[in-house]
Amino acid sequence: MSSRDLVLIALFAALVAVLGMIPPVTIGFLPVPITAQSMGVMLAGCILGARRGALAFLLLILMVAIGLPVLSGGRGGLAILAGPTAGYIFGWVAGAFVTGLLAERMVRESQNGPRQILGFALAALVGGIGVVYLFGTLWLAYAKGIALPAVLIGQLPFLAGDLLKVAIAALAARSVMVGYPLLPQRG
Amino acid sequence: MGQGLRKPLLEEDDVVDIRFSACSLSYGERRVLEPLTLDLKEERIGIIGLNGSGKSSFARLINGLQVPSSGMVTVNGIDTAADPAAAAREAGFIFQSPQNQVILPVVADDIALGLTSRGIGKAQAAEQVGAILRRFGIEALARRRVHELSGGELQLVALASVLVTEPSLVIFDEPTNQLDLRNRRKVADAIHGLDRPAIVVSHDLALIADFPRVLLFHEGRLIADGAAAGVIRAYEQVAA
Amino acid sequence: MIASLYVEGRTPFHRLPAGAKLLLLVLVGIGLAFLHSPWVLGGALVICAMPYVLLRLPFSETRRRLGLMVLTVLLLGLATAWFESPLAGLVACLRILALVLLAAAVTATSEIADMMAAVTRAMMPLERLGLIKAQDVGLALGLALRFAPEIAGRHQALVAAHRARGLKPRWCHILPALIVLTLKEADEVARAIDARGLRGHKASDR
Repeated sequence: MSSRDLVLIALFAALVAVLGMIPPVTIGFLPVPITAQSMGVMLAGCILGARRGALAFLLLILMVAIGLPVLSGGRGGLAILAGPTAGYIFGWVAGAFVTGLLAERMVRESQNGPRQILGFALAALVGGIGVVYLFGTLWLAYAKGIALPAVLIGQLPFLAGDLLKVAIAALAARSVMVGYPLLPQRG
Repeated sequence: MGQGLRKPLLEEDDVVDIRFSACSLSYGERRVLEPLTLDLKEERIGIIGLNGSGKSSFARLINGLQVPSSGMVTVNGIDTAADPAAAAREAGFIFQSPQNQVILPVVADDIALGLTSRGIGKAQAAEQVGAILRRFGIEALARRRVHELSGGELQLVALASVLVTEPSLVIFDEPTNQLDLRNRRKVADAIHGLDRPAIVVSHDLALIADFPRVLLFHEGRLIADGAAAGVIRAYEQVAA
Repeated sequence: MIASLYVEGRTPFHRLPAGAKLLLLVLVGIGLAFLHSPWVLGGALVICAMPYVLLRLPFSETRRRLGLMVLTVLLLGLATAWFESPLAGLVACLRILALVLLAAAVTATSEIADMMAAVTRAMMPLERLGLIKAQDVGLALGLALRFAPEIAGRHQALVAAHRARGLKPRWCHILPALIVLTLKEADEVARAIDARGLRGHKASDR
């Protein structure tokens, strides 16, 4: 790994920690406030690519594990990694990886703006929502013994906010690609 | 600043030998530095020129951050292209913005990292860190958080973090660029009192005005080379 | 700025080495998954809660650390009781709470530096396989802690700049600027790492 990759990974993990300190936003029709932090998964994949994006979140989990309150609302410590929502947090690593994998294959610097935004949005939807929710669900239902319907219904209020995050992340990722392209591109 | 830093302490074995042999540098199609053959041995060397003249690239070639596109650069006999890590150990480098080179959260930890990453034990590293902090009169900063430091304090910490590894020479890339008058003076004193050769890239002409040798770069070429006064006059003509 | 969750103290749990506590947590996590009797799990909860209770943290601090999570656990437990059986809900709650309280105690009684040393040791097998360099992990962690306050400051500056121009600070405007400004630093920081020879093995990888 080059020193530059190492620094990009560390800076992105720090950025995600900072996103956790931004107060959550309540939007009229949404039942739960939305936090900027989980958008970091989509952004990491779309901006850094699969490998570096996933490593940035591994570093974030390491920060949580050693007792730093870097998750939204000042949460941190091993309790989080043992608790009911730990599946989502581990899912962030896989989510960033899948988002990056798809973005690297779908988005080109030569494409026009709307095309790039659509590519980023699809990648973020699959990786940032699909994969993350899958991990969260499996963890709760199978590792923790929570009834599956309860898990699925419990997730619904968050879905609308997460769809909104896909849109914001896709727009942001496209702006970053124009300003400072970093995403590896594969055929 | 401790008084000891003010008087030049250079001895015979402190002198370095930097050789550029037909060295050029290009980024893709763009030629940044035209082929250059040159020998540097002075204990204080200034490098001046307009923005984009190639002076920073020249400085980076010396410690292996850049390797030449053609030709060769050696520092005390070390080929920078063959062993950039060794060249970096030989020539310490102080960057323009110190906030990006002090990379651990606590001052003493950052300075120690240069030693521990070279395999020096924790206890010995702590001792050397204490010594260098005392030398700069900044012991009080040891346990401070880096992001709380002022620009001048950061620049001194950056200098300490480089000097603690005992490089044979130190390269400064526009060290006084972002400093207020008081901090500029502190850094200028530190450079003038440095106990080893220094190469200073700067727009701050007063900083290099008494240097025995100054190089002027213009559009990728070395166009003047000599004692400070004459080269600064040439620079004023180029800039006019 | 990122204050640790460590709590000073001299409880027996403080004296255990961090690595041992991490190992204990992993083993308890696996062990609890095999227990199904609410009586046994209740006993496990009492035992697992002891190290945390002995810390005598004020209630407000416990609420800050664990409040939201306990609420989530209770809600999920109630939902499970509704969909499956009251017993299943109770078992899930007890199992999660026991592990969470033990984990909270490990975090509160271990200093960051000790945890870091334990993690680095745990990574040595991976280093021997050539997957990662433990030294790089420590460096990355230090970098993240060093630059998080700067990024937070930059975020505040961007919000202030928007307000000064009479604009409402929106995520979709602020985020790209924050990300680009942050990542652009990477080149220079990486050059400094190479120039200072901080990764030992090589000066340049480009």
